[in-house]
Amino acid sequence: MKAKQGELKVMTGNSAAAYGAMLCRPDVVASYPITPQTEVVEQLSRFHADGVLTAEMIEVEGENSAMNAVAAATLAGGRAFTATSSWGLVYMYDAVLQAAGFRAPVVMANVNRETPGILAVSSGQQDMIQTRDAGWIQVVVENSQEILDTIIMAFRLAEDYDIQLPVMVNYDGFYISYLAEGVRIPAREDVDQFLSVLKTQPQRTIMDPTRPIGAGSHGLMTEFMELRYKHCAAMDRAKKKFDEIDKDYGDFFGRSYGGQIEEYRTEDADFVILTSGSAVGTSRTVVDAKRAEGVKVGLIKLRMFRPFPQEKLIKAIKGKKAVGVIDRSVNFGWNCGPLYSELRALTPEIGNIPMLSFIDGLASIDITKPHIERVIDDIANAAKGKPYQAVTWIPLEERD
Amino acid sequence: MVEKVRKLPKTFQYFKDEDAFAGGVAFCAGCPLELTLRVLSKVMGHETVIVGTPSCSAPVLYGQNVGAWHRLPYYSCLMTGVASSATGLSRYYRKAGKDVNVVCFTGDGCAADIGFQTLSGAAERGERFIYVCYENEGYMNTGIQRSSTTPFGATTTTTPVGSAGRGKTTHAKNLPMLMAMHNIPYAATATLSNIDDLSKKMQKAMEKKKEGLVYLHIFCPCPVGWGIESDMSIQVCRMAVKTNYFPLWEAEYGKFKLTTTVANPEPITKYVKMFRKFNHLGEKELAVIQEEVNQKYAFLKHLTEFGEHGIPAETPAGE
Repeated sequence: MKAKQGELKVMTGNSAAAYGAMLCRPDVVASYPITPQTEVVEQLSRFHADGVLTAEMIEVEGENSAMNAVAAATLAGGRAFTATSSWGLVYMYDAVLQAAGFRAPVVMANVNRETPGILAVSSGQQDMIQTRDAGWIQVVVENSQEILDTIIMAFRLAEDYDIQLPVMVNYDGFYISYLAEGVRIPAREDVDQFLSVLKTQPQRTIMDPTRPIGAGSHGLMTEFMELRYKHCAAMDRAKKKFDEIDKDYGDFFGRSYGGQIEEYRTEDADFVILTSGSAVGTSRTVVDAKRAEGVKVGLIKLRMFRPFPQEKLIKAIKGKKAVGVIDRSVNFGWNCGPLYSELRALTPEIGNIPMLSFIDGLASIDITKPHIERVIDDIANAAKGKPYQAVTWIPLEERD
Repeated sequence: MVEKVRKLPKTFQYFKDEDAFAGGVAFCAGCPLELTLRVLSKVMGHETVIVGTPSCSAPVLYGQNVGAWHRLPYYSCLMTGVASSATGLSRYYRKAGKDVNVVCFTGDGCAADIGFQTLSGAAERGERFIYVCYENEGYMNTGIQRSSTTPFGATTTTTPVGSAGRGKTTHAKNLPMLMAMHNIPYAATATLSNIDDLSKKMQKAMEKKKEGLVYLHIFCPCPVGWGIESDMSIQVCRMAVKTNYFPLWEAEYGKFKLTTTVANPEPITKYVKMFRKFNHLGEKELAVIQEEVNQKYAFLKHLTEFGEHGIPAETPAGE
């Protein structure tokens, strides 16, 4: 059975996030405004005022409270949504760790924005990177339609009985958050049907006085290790589950994104670019142009950052002559991009091929077509066996 | 044979459920927390979720590598997230149509310091749960450090007495008053020496939380931290009331009322002699404490003389 073709509407990425959340009928929504996420809160509040969204709306006094409120609501048995960005994510950090440790199936939109150092009200994925070890599932998306679709998929993933983990859906602030484009809005009853699979699963453990349980007990040594082990095991299961949900979504709604990663013209490629977020769209265009010139370049779009899609990446890159990674953030202490350093950890399986790190797009510097052409040229040279620079801060070199 | 029927104390009329706690619990000897919690579980009943945080009550409420010492559901979160977690729980229960009491139970450090923002936010939003703060005037679980409710002159491990130090140099934050000033449906002070009053206020809290946030501030002197003999803690509670150091009052939507009036208040010197944390203080410093007690009480008395100035937290739509 197929879903109806949804209504087409021009909307921003933030609006798409709000639509995605609203369609999933959350019981509780709590969030606090922060640039560039604010529009999500506003849109959800409008939905509520119009009676389209019947959730308990909590206009919290800070992000820390937002995360605590939604995590507790999910443990009580509800469906809950929040959205944040940058310092907001940092301000809720203790609660972010706790939500994961409690296995609270929260869904959160994180609108990527810079954090450290000077107050950069601008795009960058550093906020997401700072929470990569928090025990959350982290997904990165590319455009408004993918935001809406992925938030619906995120609820299916977070609340799945075998997973029960919080999911963070990331999209580049300023670029995607404010860009308006055409988005298909699925019909409510179709979203209900897509999520109804969850109702066929066993009821997850919830806080209810008729069957008293405790959350946050003191656990030491092996008890604690066992919990950590189970958490890691659930993260591992999330990879395959995400692929399955993506396929289900595609079969029903007619749109799918490849699950953990999306490969673009990689099959016969000599070398590949690996990147995520809004840079993917530009990269696709440049890959097409280079292909027209006869350059055998492919593109891998990383969608799932946590858990890390090791198996998928190995399969996609093994046999290629070189790979270049574009990061919109840095790995402090390694002086390279974070996605790059994680890919390097797969060298034994992929093989000892040139791996190049490109740092670009920090603080709303545009990742332009010339930048990506340069990336492709550099990887092409490395693939031919020429000497190469391991780490390139593209905009800084251009300035000189 | 005539059966001798013992008349139950008045407190029993407020009890609706059995004690939810085990026979012996892991509190320090003489700590008022144990009896406070037992009374709470009897008055508020078992349809209650306790929300709390690492603190003195944590070993009993949330277990310490053993199960918890009671049969109520509990949610132990971080110190920053007690009132906000209670918000999430109570909002979901409301949405789902479940009648569950959500009761926060934390010390003054959480309520007045690190968790104050979220408590204040919940009060302003009219969240429907009960927040119980047990006031032991410092961070006792981590080893007697000062909090913002530690009184002037008190010695703690972070305000020690030495050749230059004379204990805490600033005065305590008046937390119950601050909470009442949020115009919440119900704020009250209570302590174990006046157990009828305490139970009655807990029962009233259950009613008033249907309208918005309820805040109960319960005086709980710490035998270990203050240097109180373990059989004297309730006597300390009693003297705190008799000296007006801890007056018993309630406020509905900002309308104050004294629930116990002391005809001839005892001098503060009688209170401070009962334990060791003020031992180093001289006459001048004690006079400062006496003056503070007088002023705070005068202010409270003044507030009770106001007319009906409280307003309901929420006005229903369309009215």
